[in-house]
Amino acid sequence: MTTEQTRTTHFGFQTVDEDAKAGMVHGVFSRVASKYDIMNDLMSMGIHRVWKDAMMDWLAPRPGQRLLDVAGGTGDVAFRFLKRAPGATATVCDMTESMLIEGQKRAEAEDMAERLSWVVGDAMELPFEDNTFDVYTISFGIRNVTRIPDALSEAYRVLRPGGRIMVLEFSQIPNDMLQSLYDAYSFNVIPVMGQIVANDRDSYQYLVESIRKFPNQELFASMIREAGFDHVKYRNLTMGIAALHSGWKI
Amino acid sequence: MSDMPEEEDRAAFDRRMLEALVCPLTQAPLHYDAARQELISKPAHLAFPIRAGIPIMVPDEARPLD
Repeated sequence: MTTEQTRTTHFGFQTVDEDAKAGMVHGVFSRVASKYDIMNDLMSMGIHRVWKDAMMDWLAPRPGQRLLDVAGGTGDVAFRFLKRAPGATATVCDMTESMLIEGQKRAEAEDMAERLSWVVGDAMELPFEDNTFDVYTISFGIRNVTRIPDALSEAYRVLRPGGRIMVLEFSQIPNDMLQSLYDAYSFNVIPVMGQIVANDRDSYQYLVESIRKFPNQELFASMIREAGFDHVKYRNLTMGIAALHSGWKI
Repeated sequence: MSDMPEEEDRAAFDRRMLEALVCPLTQAPLHYDAARQELISKPAHLAFPIRAGIPIMVPDEARPLD
């Protein structure tokens, strides 16, 4: 950490300075905010809803819990959590203000306003006290973080002892033939959809590349353990196109 | 600073928000300036804006204090 040489990271398949990545990711999500929900539906053929429900099934929200949903964008995960847990509260934290504004406009946000708060913040520098939340979720957000280990350490810090982290993210299909079919779909179809629906091919090109760069199930599980979590496990969703990772702060 | 929020739910929201938030750089408690709609971190010499009820807790968006 004492070296002065410039540290680099990935922005999709490009290698960029660490300092530049946050701004570039911010640019992507600022541009796509208003079309984000519809693009998620198109890109995953609606399956992201099934995955988020699977996340809730494993998480089993309980009444009165405090949820922090990081990179929570338009509130999808927080709304699901609150519907299943009476008296629970949720804080949605995202780097991109325009995503939160989109989330606040949704009907669920109005219905559950008194149980929701919205904060612009960085997953690597969370503006919350230690030992605050019962549950930390991040759904399709962690691969956009510049330094993933820093985000995982921050998750550990703000969770209470006995608290749980759950991560939903695109992953790798443990079958080479299926993976190459899926790659063909994602690299050829998704950027074109982005062009048609959101008039923004580059942002969706980035999304596809960033999915391919993200560590596989086992490697990501070991990163969660490195941050201090125990009983780390994962479940594949739709053959491993996505995966859920769960860990506990003991 | 004499500006008191008019609606009760707004006041409750503000209180809850204040309780939960700390400075992202120093993790110090924040001072709420209701009139300017800012959350002030004295150790970091930064004032974080609140826009449309959303606290913007990233240093790039904060106002430096003298």
